[in-house]
Amino acid sequence: MAEKKNGPTNVLIVGVGGQGVIMVSKVLAMLCQNHGYEVKQSEVHGMAKRGGGVFSHVRFGSSVWSPTIPVGEADVLVALEWAEALRWINYMNPQTGTFIADTQKIVPPFACRVRDRGADAMYSEETPAEIMENVRAGYAMDATSIAEDLGNLKAANTVLLGALSNSLEFSVDAWLEVIRSFVPPKSIDINMEAFAKGREWAQAGPKRVDENAKGRGVSGRDLHKQVETKLEITEEWCKGCDICVKMCPERCLRLNDQLISELHKPDACTGCRMCEWLCPDFAIKITNTPIMEPAE
Amino acid sequence: MAKRINLQGNQACALGAIAAGCTFYAGYPITPSSEVAEAMARELPKIGGTFIQMEDEIASMGAAIGASMGGLKVMTATSGPGFSLKQENLGYASGAEIPCVIINVMRGGPSTGMPTRPAQGDIMQARWGTHGDHAIIVLTPASVAECYSETVRAFELTERLRVPVVVLIDEVIGHLVETVDLDALKPSRLVTRKFADGPAEGFEPYAVTDDMVPPFPRPGDGYRSHTTGLTHLPSGFPTQNPSKAEAALVRTTDKLDLHADLIEAVEVAECDDADVVIASVGISARAGQAAVADLRSKGVKAGLFRPKTLWPFPEAALKAATKGAKAVVVPEMNQGQMVLEVERLLKNKSVHGLGKIDGEAITPAEIVTRVTEVLA
Amino acid sequence: MKDSVNEAEFQINDYIRLDQMPHFLCPGCGHGIALRALLWAVHELGIDKDKLAVVSGIGCSGRLSAYVDANSFHTTHGRPLAFATGLALARPDLHVIVITGDGDSLAIGGNHLIHACRRNLNMTCMMLNNEIYGMTGGQVSPTTTSNRYTTTTPAGNTEPVFDACALATAAGAGFVGREVTMQVTGLKNLLRDAIAHDGFSFVEVISDCTEIYGRKNDLGVSPEMMLSQKAGMRPEAYRNTVDVPFKPNALECGMLAKNDRPEYGATYRAMVDRIRGKGA
Repeated sequence: MAEKKNGPTNVLIVGVGGQGVIMVSKVLAMLCQNHGYEVKQSEVHGMAKRGGGVFSHVRFGSSVWSPTIPVGEADVLVALEWAEALRWINYMNPQTGTFIADTQKIVPPFACRVRDRGADAMYSEETPAEIMENVRAGYAMDATSIAEDLGNLKAANTVLLGALSNSLEFSVDAWLEVIRSFVPPKSIDINMEAFAKGREWAQAGPKRVDENAKGRGVSGRDLHKQVETKLEITEEWCKGCDICVKMCPERCLRLNDQLISELHKPDACTGCRMCEWLCPDFAIKITNTPIMEPAE
Repeated sequence: MAKRINLQGNQACALGAIAAGCTFYAGYPITPSSEVAEAMARELPKIGGTFIQMEDEIASMGAAIGASMGGLKVMTATSGPGFSLKQENLGYASGAEIPCVIINVMRGGPSTGMPTRPAQGDIMQARWGTHGDHAIIVLTPASVAECYSETVRAFELTERLRVPVVVLIDEVIGHLVETVDLDALKPSRLVTRKFADGPAEGFEPYAVTDDMVPPFPRPGDGYRSHTTGLTHLPSGFPTQNPSKAEAALVRTTDKLDLHADLIEAVEVAECDDADVVIASVGISARAGQAAVADLRSKGVKAGLFRPKTLWPFPEAALKAATKGAKAVVVPEMNQGQMVLEVERLLKNKSVHGLGKIDGEAITPAEIVTRVTEVLA
Repeated sequence: MKDSVNEAEFQINDYIRLDQMPHFLCPGCGHGIALRALLWAVHELGIDKDKLAVVSGIGCSGRLSAYVDANSFHTTHGRPLAFATGLALARPDLHVIVITGDGDSLAIGGNHLIHACRRNLNMTCMMLNNEIYGMTGGQVSPTTTSNRYTTTTPAGNTEPVFDACALATAAGAGFVGREVTMQVTGLKNLLRDAIAHDGFSFVEVISDCTEIYGRKNDLGVSPEMMLSQKAGMRPEAYRNTVDVPFKPNALECGMLAKNDRPEYGATYRAMVDRIRGKGA
């Protein structure tokens, strides 16, 4: 990338808590400092704990005044998580920006909006290929899998740095020297390899999408087997105390005109058993039968 | 060779219990019955039994019943205030038909009264101490040998009939030391309650059987039955249905009538030609025995009627023994308790009490004087 | 901590006497939830119903034993621990569980509770604390909160309350814990650990009496009472946190004490063996 005539170079690094957004931005900032640039790094972290959104603005050039990147002016967007990439995509310069994202998906707890057992979480439905059509240049890569193949998931960040290195005018040796100073000694070798893999992956052209990237941990089925729930109420035992009605997280029970509990929203019932456990009269019985998925 | 030893009345109760197969004792210290607990604490571990001193009288009655619910032969002992405290759980044992033996060594009352002095003030409490109509058996030994043999009999009755049995002795008998032949007293057979052994399906723990004593469901044998102090159906579960409730209660009292022959025991001496019958229990009856001899030597035709089973009162035996008598004298160490029952049963006879509550035993001379007054 | 040994799914109908149902408790009474948790714990431990003895006293809590498909004993007021002591000593092969209430075990039966704790005989005591004598119509109990109205405190309760768990701990119980009914799985786990403990275990369950106590004190209906009880609880994770204003979290929940004092039944039996010249 040619040095911009006006103002600094802007790199926006985003991800979720625990991934290493801050570490990536520190590597970059250090690298720029080593090359005599003025660097401003501005970050928000800590609020989100592990799993919440984290971002870091890195600006460098001969002189930098503002610490943050205006919307639409990021030269490179580096995303360690797919949904975070999409969340920040409007910060990227539509004409000149480069998009670098790991296709790994980390689903935040509040995205589990459908509480059916085994239900899929609410998550961005756009595929990496669809996104890539709308950016000037970019790489949607399964950095996490690349790192995993090398033997350490945590090296995914370095894979992304390798990809980023193609967009900035620093020598490979300069990158490696800084990375070496940041990572633990025993993982230096893996990080060196990870950097090379990432750099190589992004050298194929201005755009590249890993068609095989699946994303991880999105499907609820991975965590819970899907079940069919049967809720039976022994009417003779029910005394209409209202506990099941008020304690049901899905509000799918009610008292009928005889003040006996009944299931009025069967589709909303997730089989969580709260009503069964809290019924003081043993009047509710839940049977969750696993649904056998047809063999693929 | 006969095993003759000097034995105290309270200790004889303990040895009798062991001989009868008692393997659990729960008690609480109280004068003048503590020797029973001390002897049980010494003897029970030797036979692999369990002794426990509980935190109070109520708890010791409860623990004894609890162990009996587990299927063991159990006993507790107490005196005066302790007997009052045990009454609620005693009623439970009667209502739920849990076998147990209670030794009550009577002392002066009311309240703390005269702990070391004898009395016979619990005659009515032993019968009616707990609330409500209930079945109970009360035995009254009058010697150390009888403390042993009546305790054995108490176990036989409680196990056979599933009704609590009180062995009511006075402080004099309890602390009396006499020479006894233990071998001669040793029970020839052991009576153990009938445990349920039929199918568990449809089992009713309080079913009405021919002998009116339902088989006892032992925990762990698969019956999983319910035991309650509430008035209950044959199924064991509570009822307030008037006819069913009455039937359930009446069975527990009727079973004593049915087995009256087994329960009743009296000593009748020289009553056949008696003009005056001395009716008494415990140490007072022994004074009565001496009084009879004295009166006979003076030409007065006197006889002795001594219930060994005080409750249910041996009505027929009393009537038979006093058939030809002009008067009946009832010496007792209270203000007149047993005399009320004798008066009730002998409405057309001249019945006279001889009460004493000064903490001393009644002497033969006092009885002789009273008889002389009555006949005058 | 003893984990579940019975992998089969818990079905309450396997552990209750169906012919006695529905039970007699008022609508919304928390005792039913506690009974479920207890039977669930029994199920997870794989205890044979024939070897289970449930002993209860008098009051609303006392009636629960009749619904358990086991050897059940409904005894006298305040005395279930005394009966259970005899039963447990007589039959060490049985799992003895006592169900009692706040009035039953802290007032009339307080003496038996402290001595059962001291003796440390192997049994489990589940005390259902609903702060009231419900069966008799709502009289003040040793755990009725200050200023609350009952039929015998028409101007509000002026007596201080008992902390049953502190009492049990001080008296030496082998295992002490407390839980609210709302946390039914936590309660189940606590009861499971309590039953598995070798010695005397005491579990206080904070239960709700909606019909009498709740109504008289405007505490809301059952779900509201249960939620407020939960809000007042202080789980183990909160032990060292600073109090939040207006939210005291004063009710310590979870396992509160555990010690390995010798179990009394084993101690006694060892003594008997020694006397009889058996064993060491």
